Formats: sequence, structure tokens, C-alpha cells
Amino acid sequence: MEEEDEEARALLPSSPVKAGRGASNTPDAPRALSALCDPSHLAHRLLVLLLMCFLGFGSYFCYDNPAALQTQVKRDMQVNTTKFMLLYAWYSWPNVILCFFGGFLTDRVFGIRWGTIIFSCFVCIGQVIFALGGIFNAFWLMELGRFVFGIGGESLAVAQNTYAVSWFKGKELNLVFGLQLSMARIGSTVNMNLMGWLYSKVEASLGSAGHTTLGVTLLIGGITCILSLVCALALAYLDQRAERILHKEQGKTGEVIKLTDVKDFSLPLWLIFIICVCYYVAVFPFIGLGKVFFTEKFGFSSQAASAINSIVYVISAPMSPIFGLLVDKTGKNIIWVLCAVVTTLASHMLLAFTLWNPWIAMCLLGLSYSLLACALWPMVAFVVPEHQLGTAYGFMQSIQNLGLAVISIIAGMILDTRGYLFLEVFFIACVSLSLLSVVLLYLVNRAQGGTLNYSATQREEIKLSHAE
Amino acid sequence: MGSCEEPCRGWGHYVPSPVLLLSLLLTAAPFGLLGEETRQVSLEVISDGLDPPQNLLHIHAVGTNSTLHYVWSSLGPPAVLLVATNTPHSTLRVNWSLLISSDPEGSLMVLPKDSIQFSSAVVFTRLFEFDSTNTSDAVTKPPRKSYPPYSLAEFSWNNITDSLDPATLSATFRGHPIHDPTGAFANGSLALRVQAFSKSGRPAQPPRLLHTADTCQLEVALVGATPRGNRSLFGLEVATLSQGPDCPSVQEQRSIDDEYAPAVFQLDQLLWGSLPSGFVQWRPVAFSQKQGSRDSAMPCQASPLYPTLAYLLPQSPIVRAFFGSQNNFCAFNLTFGASTGPGYWDQHYLSWSMLLGVGSPPVDALSPLVLGIMAVALGAPGLMLLAGGLFVMLGHKRHSEYQSIN
Repeated sequence: MEEEDEEARALLPSSPVKAGRGASNTPDAPRALSALCDPSHLAHRLLVLLLMCFLGFGSYFCYDNPAALQTQVKRDMQVNTTKFMLLYAWYSWPNVILCFFGGFLTDRVFGIRWGTIIFSCFVCIGQVIFALGGIFNAFWLMELGRFVFGIGGESLAVAQNTYAVSWFKGKELNLVFGLQLSMARIGSTVNMNLMGWLYSKVEASLGSAGHTTLGVTLLIGGITCILSLVCALALAYLDQRAERILHKEQGKTGEVIKLTDVKDFSLPLWLIFIICVCYYVAVFPFIGLGKVFFTEKFGFSSQAASAINSIVYVISAPMSPIFGLLVDKTGKNIIWVLCAVVTTLASHMLLAFTLWNPWIAMCLLGLSYSLLACALWPMVAFVVPEHQLGTAYGFMQSIQNLGLAVISIIAGMILDTRGYLFLEVFFIACVSLSLLSVVLLYLVNRAQGGTLNYSATQREEIKLSHAE
Repeated sequence: MGSCEEPCRGWGHYVPSPVLLLSLLLTAAPFGLLGEETRQVSLEVISDGLDPPQNLLHIHAVGTNSTLHYVWSSLGPPAVLLVATNTPHSTLRVNWSLLISSDPEGSLMVLPKDSIQFSSAVVFTRLFEFDSTNTSDAVTKPPRKSYPPYSLAEFSWNNITDSLDPATLSATFRGHPIHDPTGAFANGSLALRVQAFSKSGRPAQPPRLLHTADTCQLEVALVGATPRGNRSLFGLEVATLSQGPDCPSVQEQRSIDDEYAPAVFQLDQLLWGSLPSGFVQWRPVAFSQKQGSRDSAMPCQASPLYPTLAYLLPQSPIVRAFFGSQNNFCAFNLTFGASTGPGYWDQHYLSWSMLLGVGSPPVDALSPLVLGIMAVALGAPGLMLLAGGLFVMLGHKRHSEYQSIN
């Protein structure tokens, strides 16, 4: 800390921007403030970090708006569950393609700063269209809004990560990633617990429930997207300023996507893809439909149902960094993935076949979801050469989005015709397929003598032997 | 007609003029008194020869060792008697002239009398209408403003013979108020569709209650009547006989299974007493559209049963005819819909179903499809783990052998 202060003071006089902006106007300005304005200073980086976290807040907040207002959307727009789930499907469709091109667009076409601003604009405009769909009682407009929102949403996450790498590489990067993920989860949680309340307030002030109330509520929820856009603008300014002062390069995603690489993907990688898709389709669509499940099956009030529906995100916020550390220290990724998938299976079975307090099952789901994210995604790096990593991750996200879009629609249809029990059984079947793939992956990895399931010490040894 | 009157009204074996004897000869399992798997079910309209005719529908379900009699009538308020006997030969006797008199006691009999194991009655007395606009949460608070109820005893009903369907073992009572000054029922009606079953099964229409040969289903549908408020909720008052001083209770059973009624995890039932007794069973859900899809589902609230004095209720001649005038009545109210969500106002349609039966109420089981999927979903990874475990163990052995060679 002392050192950095020293550094800051040394930098101050040589920084013309600084002198022009704040310091000259208020010569007695406290040192904290000047540190805040100095791009090389930790305090400044923390400010940037705060902006980065809120950059994603809006899109994560609004992503789950439909889940938080499930009953209201279905009632006010007079749609069944199948159509309701289209709101999620429409978000996923553009990302089936964009996952491949998000990085390319950010690096080559827009640049990180404009890319972020443009994606934030998409998010804002998408949310406004979504809300207008409510105000004008046009469900197709809502779908269009979610589509536009989807174009921005996922790419914004890529841009957010690029900023993080550009500002924090070699410093506190893992922590920053962890914090960004936590912030995303907080956004989802706040949404789940706030939107229902907001709706009732709007309803009270407008005098009646209806599509207008829904639209106005969503429009107010859209303020978070404006906040994110403001963050994007501020970040662009600060990033440009830092470039001028520190001659820092504009961040790049570094993603090189070559679709021809897909044919070289190994069997373990395909198995990882299957695990990923089958697992996530049993989590996100479930949360999207969960609120009514908790009110109807377990007799929860609307607020309690919102709270329990968001518990997965609440748990994931603090547990992601902890599990990340655990997996890093122990290795044995496949075993951790196996544990996560088995726990999720157990959790869905509890929800489906018992009337036990669902907090137990949902906490298990939250834990296993966090564990899986920490153990599964890094595995890709072990089975893919580095130059194909971008393609592999892009592909993984893409088919995950494809899976989510398709399964969202199917889940809605199952719910309308067969009910929640059958839906849960369907999710259990999905998780079970994922489990089957994990076991297969273990066997394949073992048979091929792969490195996937090495412990951390074994990995260290290999690294050392390679170094030698 | 005059020649027919005497034999029809007098004592003795009645000769139903439109003989509608529907027999389904099925092998019956020897299952004791109640709970027979199949029954030979017949629906008969017992004619009175009056004009306009009074409806008396006799559902006669014969098993190997027992007979169930369901007598539905729209004489007075719509009502049903259910009588279970322990012989396949019990019969119903009707004395019409006594039944339509002011003191109908003894005009309906099931003979032999000592074969009767259980008997009770359900009467649908009133149709309520409330205004729901001023209630923020109709689930917890009773609706504030209620319109004068329609007394179902003052309804005029169709001739049930026309709606009798031998193929589905069903018949429909369709009625509208005799005095309808506002014309609310000008294009509308209240329909009570009664259906009997010769074996167990499940209808295609939600809420898809599981029925057995011992049960009888009633679907109440209010169609096309003009509501008196913009957001009117409707309710139904149901009265029943209590066996003792206390009223039977309505049990709310929670279940994990909503496969047949999506998102409805509750089954309500009224049990008259210890077994063998009768029950009324329903899902707390009503529908605002004929298809009965999930987006037209509305909640159905049942009040607890409360004791009530007979003179406060519209009198049912068939109940007095069978049980006499000294009876304890209990009543409860069903309210369909809530101030928000789908409601009668959507399409001027409301339907609700219940099951009436004798013996233990049918219990839903997980469907074979669910069990099958679960078996595969848990079995496949389980087998894989087992095979994998073996493979790893053997592989480990071989591996160590190699090592020993090296």
C-alpha cells in the first residue's frame, strides 16, 4: 500500500489529465480522491472494478425478470407456460450464433470500449421493447424485446471479462472474476425478490393489475440497464484515459474462433459438452418455472417462493470463489463434477418425490451448481490445445444456449400438459444423462490415460517435468 | 297416461316407461362388500307421468356381492342419495304420489332394508355470486359484496331423459331460474352432468379424477349466464347429512403428484365416517374454459363444514323421502376463482368436478410412464457406475501386473 502511494505521488505531476480535472480545482483535495483518479493506483482499479461489476448487473437483473413475474406475465398477457418460456428461448437463440462471434466483434470490429457500449445499448433497448410489449399488450413485442436483449446480454459478459483481464491481468484476476460472478448472482437475486414487490406497488399506484402495470414494472426494472450503460460509458472513458496516461493497450478477448477446429474435438471434450448442456438445462429452466412450483406444491407465499427460487444464486455468490479454490487445490475435477451432478440429481429427486421443506433441496442445488461451474469449465483447458480454446469455449456456450432455448420450450409444454411432477422427472432424466456422461468421461479419461482427473500435486509434477 | 299412473305411483316393482336399462356385463371380482373392480351399471329414468316431468335418475351399480344405488333428482334442489347394500339383489322402490306430496317420508326405499350398509345424501342448495373487485386478496378474505343467491330449488330443469347417454353412462340436468327478472339466465344455464362408471379409469378432461366402479362423477358447469358484476365470482352451497352430532370434516390431502391436474398438488375429500362409508372427492381447481387447460385453471376454495338447521336450507323431497324429516344437516361453500387470474368473466364459463362414492376414496399412483423414466434414469448411470467400477478394478489389477513384469 505504502509503495503504491509512493508510486501515485510520483505519477501525479506527470499526469496532465489529472491536473486539469480535479487536482487544480481543489488543491486541498484529500489524497484518497486523487488516488481514485489515478489509473495506476489500486483505489482507481477498485473503482473500475465496481463499474465492471455494475456493468453486468443490469443484464443479469433483467434476464430473470420473467421468472420473478411468472404469474403476472402469464395472467396479464394471457399466455400459457409454453409461450411464457419462449421469453427465455428468444434470449438464447441469438447466442447460439453470437457465442462464436462475440469475441470477434469485440476484438476486430468494435473494439472493447465501443463493443461494451453497443452491447449495453442492445440490453437497454431490448428491455425497453420488452416493457413496451407489456404496455401495448403485444406478446410478440415482448419476444422481440427478449431477442434484442439476448443479442446484448451474453456478449456483454464476454466484454466484461475482457475488461477484467485488461485491467487486472497478473494481479487480482481470479478474485475479480469471482466478484463479477457474485455480482451477477446478486443481480439475479435482487431481481427475484424485488420485482414482485415492485409490481404490487405499481399496481397500487395505477389502481389495477394488467398488462400496463406489467409494462411499467418492467420499464422501472430497465433502470438497472441504464445504470449498466452508464457504467459502460464510464468504463470506456476511464479505459481510454488510462490508455493515454499509462499507454495501456486496449483489451482484447484474444478469442480466435475457427469453426473447422470442431472436427478435431476429442471424445472427452464432446462428453464435457454433453455434461454441460444436460446439466444446465435442468437448472435454469427449472428456476424460470420454479416460483409457481413452490407456491402450489409447498404452499409458500409469493415472497417466500421468490426467496427460495433465488437461493441457488445466493449460495453461488459466496461459494463460487470457495469451491474454485477447493478445486484448484485438490484437482480431481471429474470426481468433483461427479459429486456436483449426483447432488443435483438428489436435489431434483427431493423436489419431485417428497414434500420435505424445499429449502434443503434448493440449498443442495445451489451448492452443487456452484461446484459444477468451478470444476467443469476449467476441464476444457485440459483436453484442448491452447489455440483451440476459444473455439471450444465458444462452442460450449453456443450449444448450452441452444440446449436452454430448446429445453425451455419443451419444459413449458410439459408443464402445461403433464404438470410439475413430470417436469421434474424430465429434469431428473436430463441430469441422469449428464451423470452417465460423467461416468463415461471418467472411464474414457482413464482408458486414454488423460490428465483430467489428476490431483493438483500430479499436475504440478507434470508441469515441472515439462519445464525440465 | 292415466292408465300408467296407478302402477307407476303405487307400491310394487316400478315399470319405468322409457326403459333405459344399460347393462354392461363384466366379470366381477369377489371383493367383499365394497371396492369391487367392476360393476354392472345401469341408468334408469324413473318416470312419474307428470307434466312437466320430474327428474329421478337411478344409477344402479351391481357387483358380485353388493349393489350401489345413486338416486339423482331435481325435485326441489338437485340432490343425490347414495345407498350401499351388501347384496346384488337390492332394489329401489318409489312411490311417486307420496314423493310429490308435502310429507314424502317413506316414499323412497331400498329393499331389503337390512342389507343397507351405508347411506347418505348430498344436496346442492344455492348458487352464490360475489363481487371480487374490491378484494385485494380473495384467497384469505371472503369477498365483500355478495349478490342475492340463486336458490337451486327454484330452478326449472330439463327433462333428463333427453340427455341420457347410454354409451358414456351419463346424464345432464340443465336448469335455469324459474323467476329470472333480470334475464341473467336468458342465454345461460347451470348444468349438472352425472356420470357413472363400470370400471376404474380416468377421464380425458381435467382435473382427471381417478374413478372406480364404486364412484359417480358430477361435473357442475355454469355456462352463458350474465354475471351481475364485472368480476363476479361464483360459489356453490353444498349440504349433506351428518351421521352424528358433529359434521364430517373436509380433509385437504397434499400430494406430490400433479400429473393429471398440472400444478394442483391437493386433493380435498369429505368422509362421512369410518369405513365402510362414503366420500366426496375433488381437486381444488375449476376451469374457465371448456378445454380445461392450465391457463384457465382457477382455485376452488372450500369452507369448513358447519352444522345448519334443516329449515334454513331449501328442502329436498328425496332426502326427506328416504331419511325422514329428523336429520342433522351440515353445509359448506365452494368458491370458484379469485379476484385475479382467470375467472368466469373470461368466457362466461365455469366448470368444476367432484367424485361421489362409497368405500375408500381412490388414491392416485405414479403413472407407469413416470416410473419407467425414473427406472431408466436411475438405472442407466447406476449400471454404468457398476460396470465402470469393475472395469477400473480389473484395469488396476492388470496395471499392477504390468508393473510387476517391468
